[in-house]
Amino acid sequence: MGDPSSRGVSGPRSPARRVLALWCPDWPASAAGAAADLAPDVPVAVLHANRVVACSAAARRSGVRRGMRNRQAQAACPKMVLAGSDAGRDGQWYEPIVAAVTEVVPTVEVLRPGLLVIPLTATLCRHLGDEQAIAERLTDVIGACGAEASAGVADEMFTAVLAARRGQCVEPGGDAAWLAPLPIAELAVESAFGGHERTELVDLLRRLGITTIGAFAGFPIRDVATRFTADAVAAHRLANAVPDRGPVGGRIQEDLLIEYDCDPPIDRVDAAAFVGRRLADELHRRLAAMSVCCTRLTVEAVTQLGQRHTRTCRAVAPLTADDIACRVRWQLDGWLTGGRGTHGQRPDSPIALLRIDPVEVIDSGAMHYTLSGHGLPESESDGERARAVLARVQGLLGGDAVKIPVLSGGRGPSDQVRLVTLGEDSVPHHDRSAPWPGRLPQPSPATLAEAAVAVLDPDGDPVRVSARGAFSAEPALVVGHRTWSVRWWAGPWPTGLDGTARAQVLLDDTRALLLHYRSEHWIVEGIYE
Amino acid sequence: MGDRPTVAGQGTAGRRSDADHESRIAQLRRQLAVMSGQPDRLSAERPDVSVIPVPVALEPLFPAGGLATGAVLACDGARSVLLSLIASASASGRRVGIVGMPRLCLLSAAELGADLSRIATVPYPGADPVEVASVLLDGMDVVVLNLAGASVPPSRAKVLMGRLRKRSSTLIVTGGQWPGVRTSIDAEVTGYRNSLSHSISGSGSGRSGMGRIGGMRLRVSAVGRGRCRSGVDVELVADGFGASRRVGMVRTDGYRSVAADPVLEVAN
Repeated sequence: MGDPSSRGVSGPRSPARRVLALWCPDWPASAAGAAADLAPDVPVAVLHANRVVACSAAARRSGVRRGMRNRQAQAACPKMVLAGSDAGRDGQWYEPIVAAVTEVVPTVEVLRPGLLVIPLTATLCRHLGDEQAIAERLTDVIGACGAEASAGVADEMFTAVLAARRGQCVEPGGDAAWLAPLPIAELAVESAFGGHERTELVDLLRRLGITTIGAFAGFPIRDVATRFTADAVAAHRLANAVPDRGPVGGRIQEDLLIEYDCDPPIDRVDAAAFVGRRLADELHRRLAAMSVCCTRLTVEAVTQLGQRHTRTCRAVAPLTADDIACRVRWQLDGWLTGGRGTHGQRPDSPIALLRIDPVEVIDSGAMHYTLSGHGLPESESDGERARAVLARVQGLLGGDAVKIPVLSGGRGPSDQVRLVTLGEDSVPHHDRSAPWPGRLPQPSPATLAEAAVAVLDPDGDPVRVSARGAFSAEPALVVGHRTWSVRWWAGPWPTGLDGTARAQVLLDDTRALLLHYRSEHWIVEGIYE
Repeated sequence: MGDRPTVAGQGTAGRRSDADHESRIAQLRRQLAVMSGQPDRLSAERPDVSVIPVPVALEPLFPAGGLATGAVLACDGARSVLLSLIASASASGRRVGIVGMPRLCLLSAAELGADLSRIATVPYPGADPVEVASVLLDGMDVVVLNLAGASVPPSRAKVLMGRLRKRSSTLIVTGGQWPGVRTSIDAEVTGYRNSLSHSISGSGSGRSGMGRIGGMRLRVSAVGRGRCRSGVDVELVADGFGASRRVGMVRTDGYRSVAADPVLEVAN
């Protein structure tokens, strides 16, 4: 991730990525007890659908367990206070604890009420001491709030949560080994990492004789993916402690959408550009304040009569204030001037509302730039400029005006180059390395065409390609908008099992054509020139 | 870095300053020649002009040895020549924008060695292709513009060429009239090559039904400002089999003036 510790300059005490989990046991029961203002030693159980979902330590001592029916639980502990499950209550009573922890560590992710994780960065360790010290301090903080918590530290979030349930600290790099001897049921014990489906999986695995997490982790991922559900693949990743996303620092995501009521309404390009510039600066200031970068941006303009014009642009490199301003200007420029393209249309009335929405933002620390070579942002200035002008042409003519050629698999000259709209994934239609029997050898025609012609034999009868892949007669004339005589021909070469074929003819005016025979008609496919 | 010679770098710095000195003298000599009116402008201009590579077979047609940046080139006739120019420019890392040519077969360019990832096309530029080309000139090194029979007024061309010089890109126009073209290239097909018999087919030499079109012979001629028409005969040949098959452009004759050259092989 993007934290500074990944550079490896800090000491061995705080490796690339450590996660601290703080778990308050039986949180729903604690919250219910706190809400009813009960003493901590009063047994409490929280019921959902007539079954116990959580119970306090005192109730557990009397023999109450999760999953028991109401009647069983009450029989085990007649003095027990019962409460219905209430997610709102859980969250409400957990909030003071989160606030208290945030006082000490600002980056907190709450997985569910009663469970929170904290990314242990090098900075944090520098300020608060090592992992042990931070864990102790935070459990003290939670204790001061009147709740009890246990802490666990590991490389991965899932391992850290399981470690917190045992109050252990997993050695760096030892996640998988630590998880291996645990019973398979632990995979489903934490609802934040898997729901009902995970419980079923665990049940199934146990019936298959897989009793520990290590036994499940030992299977090849391919076998798991082909035999179980997608959730099993996720569980397998957890069991192997495969690096997953780290805890998101608990920054509050503000609404970054920017709206501007145009008064007076805008109908000129320069006025729109001016407003766009101001909005871009404002947006960029907000993004910078949250230290995020925008990689996808939606610009929407609404006219007085309610006509909307929306365009989303994606950028590989983060958009700067200038970029945002340019995107806004190009889009409004293209629209207000009626689009010089074929399918352009002008707005029906002046623009009344402008809206800029950064639909995709990423943590600016998570951006990686390569130092040189064909890196992701391709920061050499010419590539940047080329992309900018192509985006501008898209603004003028519409999104699908700019095409990028990609070599693709196919037989005909036009099949072998796929034109991909700029901004879309440039993947070929078909695999080019496949054999493609019937593909003509190089050179290919320089000009593509799509014109129907008639190919006639010396008697004036149309030439066909027989089922055995031969001409019905020798071609002598090609009739299009005029008649040419054929000087030389070659083919036909069948291109598939559907009766299509290709042939080359040389006309009397020094033009060689590539002809394609399909459904009993000849089509000029290309001109060799 | 090189301005301040360090103690360790004395030797290199000394040599470099010698070279600087010589090139400076040469430049001053050229300036003197130009100012005194000698017809040496070509050699005076040449060193400052950076060029975009062209296929080796076509180099004699370009006085600077390649496409001059900041200039307009007209390229008409057989499309293979245009495609080979696109191919060599993109293969050398230049970015190429193609405006208004939906029928251009980019597969053929790829066979000639083009790097398709550096090519962007605007197949249908709408009513005003010149406008689109002028936008593309800001960011692309080579822009190919199909005028579709239109002729551009000089006032408009002047604005665009100013931008061209500033950005040091190259504009290749085709299918129309552009005022102020520096070099005008025309190409015609003079014959085809049969992949089997290795001879130019047609005129009875190739039997129908045998082989395939394995290449073509082109006559490429160029005329420019202040120079007479010159031409080369080039041949587009495909060699090899399977994945190693390559298309290349080779010259088949010397470099001579077309006027002095009797037409040897008429179109079949």
